[in-house]
Amino acid sequence: MLPVASDGELIQRTAGGDRSAFEDLYRRYARSVFGLALRRLGDRGRAEDAVQETFASIWRSAASYRPERGAGAPWLYAVARNAIVDRARTRTDTPADVPDEPSPDVGPAERAELSWVSWRVHRALEELPEREREVIALAYWSGLSQSEVAEFLGIPLGTVKTRTRTALQRLAELLGDEIE
Amino acid sequence: MTRFDDIVDTDGLDPAEELRLRKVHDLLLEAGPPPELPPALREPPSPHPAQVIPFPKLPPRRFGSVAVVAAAAVLAAFAAGYFLGHSKKTTFTAERVVVLHRPNAAGSALATLRIAKADAVGNWPMQLVVRGLPQQRARTAFYELWLTHGGRPVEPCGTFRVHGNDTTVSFTVPYEFHRGDGWVVTSQPSGDTTPGAVVLTT
Repeated sequence: MLPVASDGELIQRTAGGDRSAFEDLYRRYARSVFGLALRRLGDRGRAEDAVQETFASIWRSAASYRPERGAGAPWLYAVARNAIVDRARTRTDTPADVPDEPSPDVGPAERAELSWVSWRVHRALEELPEREREVIALAYWSGLSQSEVAEFLGIPLGTVKTRTRTALQRLAELLGDEIE
Repeated sequence: MTRFDDIVDTDGLDPAEELRLRKVHDLLLEAGPPPELPPALREPPSPHPAQVIPFPKLPPRRFGSVAVVAAAAVLAAFAAGYFLGHSKKTTFTAERVVVLHRPNAAGSALATLRIAKADAVGNWPMQLVVRGLPQQRARTAFYELWLTHGGRPVEPCGTFRVHGNDTTVSFTVPYEFHRGDGWVVTSQPSGDTTPGAVVLTT
């Protein structure tokens, strides 16, 4: 089995014009970028455009990545964030009156932190085997109980619990410093 | 909300490991579900860089007498627009000037869109000089400049209101211009953020 290339290696190969490396990066990160864009822009069409722009930007600027300055994921996150911010700035809503009450929304710092966490978690989910990702998705975001998940997948309840625990352990390894 | 104790069998886990899994659990709840990719994003995009459209881009015209009339109208609009665009004493250094005229060459309103050199990160300064558009009565109504692709407004460039006969406004946009792109000015009723009626077009 071939060793899996790191994000940084793929970025460096992309800088050299390697299209397959670029496509691997896309498959790894498209959903994370789309999730980030959707969260920030709140509009699927604009989020799609932001994904396209992010990867066009990755292709153009991959040569600016310096592996000695850090891993590939933060660099990719920065490129995506810039493309999404640029896209957000193009929105030209009619100026609204400033509300008297403080906004209940989270501030820029908290939003950035949430975005980074989502980015890491969604990226880590991409690394799970399909059957574990499926169990996690059903357990966390479908509203089904573990018994219902077992019934839905046609597997024993014990298997669901085992897969859930294994998936969380794998995610713990992948998320590393986020849970320290 | 999904509870950790409901979905994870903690038998045999040491406390440190259980704490790690609880943190992952919290992160999953915080992150929310990853979105499904829409069909348009299922395959990687072409990495080839976009090409900049040649300037000036004018819409295709039909042949025959319609072409003669239209060409004359466009030429007149371009000449007037060129004069309009270059008669202002300004420090704005345009690399391209695009003329916008009334759709179907109807009416006398016109505009010049002057585009300066993009900065290092791809921001294009633009200056729009508009002549002859009626002042909108509603205080919350405005005009809007859009980048078009295939004739369809796709990206907003900026909003403005007019005063007097000539109005000059400046925008900066980060878009790359692709083959087939153009510009339109639309009239935007109060509160409407979708493209309104086209009042000027390239």
